[in-house]
Amino acid sequence: MNKLLILVVEDDPAIRNLMATTLKAHNYRFMTAPTGASALMQASTTQPDIMLLDLGLPDMDGVEIIRKIRAWSQMPIIVISARAEDTDKIDALDAGADDYLTKPFSVEELLARLRVTQRRLAFMQTSTPSPIFTNGALKIDYAAGCAWLGEQELHLTPMEYKLLCVMAQNVGKVLTLSFITQKVWGGSTESDIASLRVFMATLRKKLSAGKEEVQYIQTHIGVGYRMQKL
Amino acid sequence: MKRVIHEHVLVCLSSAPSNANTIRAAAKLSQAFGGTMTALYVQTKSSDQMGTEDRRRLQRHTRLAEKLGASVSTVAGDDVAFQIAEYARISKATKIVLGRSVAPKGRLFAPKPLTEQLVELAPYLDIYIIPDSAGKNQRRRNSATKQRILPSIRDVLITIGMLALSTAIGFVFHRLHFTEANTITVYILGVLLTALFTKNYMCSGISALAGVLLFNFFFTEPRLSFRAYASGYPMTFAMMLFSSLLTGTLANRLADHVKRSTQTAWRTQVLLETTQQLGQAENENDILEVIADQLLKLLNRPILVQCKNGAAIRRFPEGEPVEIPPETASQRFSFQSGGEAFGDVLVYGDALEPLESGILHSILGEGGLAIENRRNARQKEEAAVLAKNEQLRANLLRSISHDLRTPLTSISGNAENLLTSGEGMEEADKRKLLTDIYEDAIWLIRLVENLLSITKIGEGNARLNMTTELVDEVITESLRHVHTKTHPIETEFADELLLSQMDARLVSQVIINLVDNAVKYTPEGSKIHISARKQGKEILVRVADHGSGIPDEMKPRVFDMFYTGNGKIADCRRSLGLGLYLCKAIINLHGGEITVTDHTPTGCIFAFTLPVSEVTINE
Repeated sequence: MNKLLILVVEDDPAIRNLMATTLKAHNYRFMTAPTGASALMQASTTQPDIMLLDLGLPDMDGVEIIRKIRAWSQMPIIVISARAEDTDKIDALDAGADDYLTKPFSVEELLARLRVTQRRLAFMQTSTPSPIFTNGALKIDYAAGCAWLGEQELHLTPMEYKLLCVMAQNVGKVLTLSFITQKVWGGSTESDIASLRVFMATLRKKLSAGKEEVQYIQTHIGVGYRMQKL
Repeated sequence: MKRVIHEHVLVCLSSAPSNANTIRAAAKLSQAFGGTMTALYVQTKSSDQMGTEDRRRLQRHTRLAEKLGASVSTVAGDDVAFQIAEYARISKATKIVLGRSVAPKGRLFAPKPLTEQLVELAPYLDIYIIPDSAGKNQRRRNSATKQRILPSIRDVLITIGMLALSTAIGFVFHRLHFTEANTITVYILGVLLTALFTKNYMCSGISALAGVLLFNFFFTEPRLSFRAYASGYPMTFAMMLFSSLLTGTLANRLADHVKRSTQTAWRTQVLLETTQQLGQAENENDILEVIADQLLKLLNRPILVQCKNGAAIRRFPEGEPVEIPPETASQRFSFQSGGEAFGDVLVYGDALEPLESGILHSILGEGGLAIENRRNARQKEEAAVLAKNEQLRANLLRSISHDLRTPLTSISGNAENLLTSGEGMEEADKRKLLTDIYEDAIWLIRLVENLLSITKIGEGNARLNMTTELVDEVITESLRHVHTKTHPIETEFADELLLSQMDARLVSQVIINLVDNAVKYTPEGSKIHISARKQGKEILVRVADHGSGIPDEMKPRVFDMFYTGNGKIADCRRSLGLGLYLCKAIINLHGGEITVTDHTPTGCIFAFTLPVSEVTINE
């Protein structure tokens, strides 16, 4: 039996049923809420571990719910959106959501996102503030200001190192382009985003130099990047 | 259907102080009827002699009328009633508002009052008369006109000179013993010339009288006295005076007429030029420029055209200062058509002459009309585009609804089978049905993605979400959405970083569609090769397959909407003919090109370009 408690917020009965069936089949504990108001109430009374939140609820704007929850809890929130517009997802991520799924999504994808979030949760709960960050073969020594991939020290430019630190500090979370550029360059102009693309490309090349084919950093088209928790 | 009669109220402008009340009354009337209002100024001979006070008041009234929503027009002609009636007929006025005109009483042959003349000339008009304190005004007007009655020094000198010259010629004739008739003719000629060269009507009259007196004094017996011995002389004097006066008056009229025709010709020329230039104007801004240019040509003083949308056009005569704040303008004219104000024209410097202001109003009227026409034309164009889009949308909807039936039938039918008789089915059969449901659902998902993209590009550039992207990142991510286990996909990227401005989701859709097509139309196990490299100022992305290729005659049409290979291609399950159409639309929207060529030895290559974006990297 999986220990995690998941709150599913979804107004459409068919999709709610689909998610419930999927979660039950994979031994997750779960609750469902059809409206924003009931979701907020259940979230505060039962304190679930993960929230799956549909953005298009009849009574409340999804981004508003995220803001309210973030006022008192850091529980991972995975946003589910039928809207193809990237701006909705970006708004939700900037408001504090951790990840997103776009309808129509496959069951496989839903489970994959849950596993990622689960790992992130485990990491958040076990790790005490430490000057050393480890993720698979990747190791960052914040105090010394250097990073290793396995035994090999990574030769990073100052910008690449800064970028790596921002990604590592938010491991498992999808970061929007403007969030990253704000952190690294302090702005979000077109040339900042272009710079981000370039440094991210060189950083990834250096990170993939290891023996095994591990993708440390995922791209989310039109949205941003995420460092995977391995 | 209820027929709405459009009321058009005409009000006459004058310099009379009571005119303001008349204008306000007319405005109320037009408002009450929900109609439009035109303020008409009839320019007559006497308006040229108007005092400054009157001129200013007339301008105030013009401005008042404009403020109350009237469009202002000017016509020229001495017969005021005829001009008003003509204008009312042309402009389809239904009501006319006049201040009460006081008929000069006690004068023989007094002209009929304006209202009566109007009733005769335009019996179909409703005439409203607004009472006023006209008596006072009448007197004041007389005193105002008197200022101009005194002749100028130049006129006096010309008159005296002409008389002196006539007298001198008379003396010569006398010495040569010509008859008196010759001398009389010389005097009459003098009066004629005086009338032609002086501006004041009094000059010719005075000169006629003085001519008779001089003739009497110098050339009749007894000479050098005002007496005359011969009994026929009084008659001669009377005849002489009469013909002199008549000649003078006729000559005056002639001079007037010449002046008026010159002005009319000039006015016509300016207006014609304006009309021609307005005809060539491409947009509203051009129209405003033409108006400003023409007004500068007409008035030769600083002009400021202020538009309702905030645009301002300034024009200066050469050598004038460049700064002209709107507050210092001496006159402001609103600029409108069809009841909608487009902006204001500000004129600097002295008050305008009536002729100038007449032309100015005509130019503004033309300009307003031109703008209104332009707007109407644009609205029509937009409506046409909208109708075309609507047509396209309807076609799309029809075609889609039709083609949706097949997968939906398969999904609902298979699900129904499983629900009703799933129990007794073999596991393998069940699996087959479930696979079909899954595949059809996936097909529908792809279709919906494409449709969403089509609506997005249908709305033009505004909806594009352009960001700088790494092309190989976009390709790699797109390939994650292509589910194929049957076709190995190879990628080959340039070493350099290929950055481009794009809507990543749409470009990703292009790659997915192209790769999906390659998977769909090539036999299992055949390789698909994707590459991206820089080519001059562009990035070239190629998707190559090893299928049977596309026949040459089909190549030009593969990007058409709703074009499907119609079973010519093996294993063609179904296709809406939207995928490649969408690819082309998206790539073109990004300023690139998409092409299809043959691959060697077999297969085809779809290649598209995207502009390279030059960026500065912030270290």
